[in-house]
Amino acid sequence: MSHGRSARWLLFAAPIVFVSVFLLIPLALTFAISFWERTGFTIKPGLSLDAYKVFFSGVRLIVMQKSLGFAAVVTVLGLLTAYPIAYFLALRVSPRISQTCLFLFAVPFVINPIIRNFSLAYILGRTGPVNSFLTEIGLIERPLDWLLFSDFSVILGLTLSYMPFMIYPLWLSLTGINRRYLEASWILGIPPAKTFLRVTLPLSLPGVFAASIFGFVGTFGESTVPIIVGGLGYQMMGNTITSTLDVLNYPLAAAMSSVVAATMLLFLVLWYRMFDIQLFLGKITLRKF
Amino acid sequence: MDNSRREILKQSLVTMGMLSTGLPAMNSAFAAGKGTINFGDVGVSDPGGDWSKFVNATGWNVNLVAIGNAPSQVLNVLIAGGGRKTYDLMGIVGGMQKPLVENDLVLPIDTSRLTNWNKHTNIKKYVLDDPNGFEFVGWNGEVYMMPTFIQGDSIGYLPEFTGHVDSYGALFDPKFKGYTAIEDNFTTTGQKTALYLKKNNLATIDDPSNMTPGEVKQVVDFLIEKKKEGQFRLMWTSFQQSVDLFVNKEVYVQDCWEPMVFAARRQGVQAEYARPKEGYLLWSLGPYIVNNPNRTPEHEEAIYQLLDFLLDDWYSAKISLIHGYLTSPGAAEYARTHPSEFTSDQAEKVEQIHANVKSKFEMPGTWQQRWPTHVEVYEEEWARFRAA
Repeated sequence: MSHGRSARWLLFAAPIVFVSVFLLIPLALTFAISFWERTGFTIKPGLSLDAYKVFFSGVRLIVMQKSLGFAAVVTVLGLLTAYPIAYFLALRVSPRISQTCLFLFAVPFVINPIIRNFSLAYILGRTGPVNSFLTEIGLIERPLDWLLFSDFSVILGLTLSYMPFMIYPLWLSLTGINRRYLEASWILGIPPAKTFLRVTLPLSLPGVFAASIFGFVGTFGESTVPIIVGGLGYQMMGNTITSTLDVLNYPLAAAMSSVVAATMLLFLVLWYRMFDIQLFLGKITLRKF
Repeated sequence: MDNSRREILKQSLVTMGMLSTGLPAMNSAFAAGKGTINFGDVGVSDPGGDWSKFVNATGWNVNLVAIGNAPSQVLNVLIAGGGRKTYDLMGIVGGMQKPLVENDLVLPIDTSRLTNWNKHTNIKKYVLDDPNGFEFVGWNGEVYMMPTFIQGDSIGYLPEFTGHVDSYGALFDPKFKGYTAIEDNFTTTGQKTALYLKKNNLATIDDPSNMTPGEVKQVVDFLIEKKKEGQFRLMWTSFQQSVDLFVNKEVYVQDCWEPMVFAARRQGVQAEYARPKEGYLLWSLGPYIVNNPNRTPEHEEAIYQLLDFLLDDWYSAKISLIHGYLTSPGAAEYARTHPSEFTSDQAEKVEQIHANVKSKFEMPGTWQQRWPTHVEVYEEEWARFRAA
């Protein structure tokens, strides 16, 4: 085997090994443990469905349904917010402004999520700046309780946390669109709105789906936001899995994790089947259009 | 455009990469060189970072490593995380003997090797002489957790909105609807609620500290009813969150720890800690000796020296001042007679703190339960409460 070929194999094998060791094997172990049996404080290999029975017959299934609902709402809100931002950054402003703005959208990533959410809790609190301002200008007589520790604050917190993640794939997808298509549409006299709906939006769909995956997966497993701004024991899947670990119920935690992973995998397969990954990466070929 | 895309991706990756940097919090006292005692602790055993008295006297270093106090975290560290080889001591709230001893994770403490043990009469009076107190630190007649710090918990309140509070009932009082908070903890909150229900004849509960599945369900049904009525503003999960609730006047009454009230006062809020007629939730915190069969006799001796140091008056005075716990009976006297180390105000404060905690033990109450017999029912029912 030549040096070049060996290097290529090494290049190919390294990520495969990495993903196998750090992702696939732990996932497989999690799946296997979900069938294990509990013996006191430890577990032993087995083929028990008890953990799945407990999960699908108990209150935790409701938590999963609720998490899916929240994840869907936040994903839609995130897209509705992130898409216009990505659109303007990709197609309407200069690269310099675009660069600066995208950099600024990365700033929230360097702030600890706990600190970020504590700040949000302060802003939305009964005596926080929002309620104080609204009271000051006479719009409300007494503080709005629902601003914090409510569905509203959880959805807002989750949207603020994951929307920036969604901007990047959308922006990548939009910048990958060949401008000649847009120009051709303009030359043919197609109104801008129609050009957007018939050309830009369809061509950016791989980015939309990628952004949805980022938003949905992140929100679905989130635990910090519900804890800090959710109020009364707000639970999403991440919290309920942690809770079962409090009593060392590893098989149940593994069963829930497996169901969550399977759900996410389903979405990824859907994405893979519906969209060409090359399209998302911006390698648009004339053959396809 | 391609160049700018690459540039932006590069910048973003650099920014996001900063996320992954971080160092584990460790507080070490490295000076001498006989060896190191690894002390896993929930964050209250550190005497202001100064271990020099122990290090100079013994030649052993103390490596204090922050760990979580949740029962599962402690067990996970020792069972699955290789903690038996890493830690010598685990300083946590007691009541964990059942899972720790049954899994052979900790060793009994030979109190005859501790010269300060008998001087620390608070341990005998407030913990060992009470059968429930002994159960909190011992197992099968042997002591497993050294009760270095002793405390009792109830609820905090803001008197400007509530007036004087002397019952857990304030948490459930419709007058404060939407202005109360509870801790997201199925043992402590469940236990305080059970105390309230039992003492006020609102439910038939034999032992609030170790309820049967039916009793747990009764308690959770009551909490769900209150939750649906809008009684609670939230369930807090961290110290800061609880303090902020008082500082921002988000709630007027909350199930919390006394240090949270102290913290709120330091920020200018007039908060009080209730003396509930139903009694306090009593507890103690201290180290367990981790069972490591490969430990040398010298290392074991050093561990006992450290345990003895934790009962010492200087250390006790320091911890009482920092956290407000009842410690050794000689702490206040030591502070008073060592003006180069403590001011007279500090000495007086230690005395007040001790008197305050002692008075809590004069009330009826119950020892905190960390690992009830039906712990899984507690967890399952708490999940039902959260989801309701």
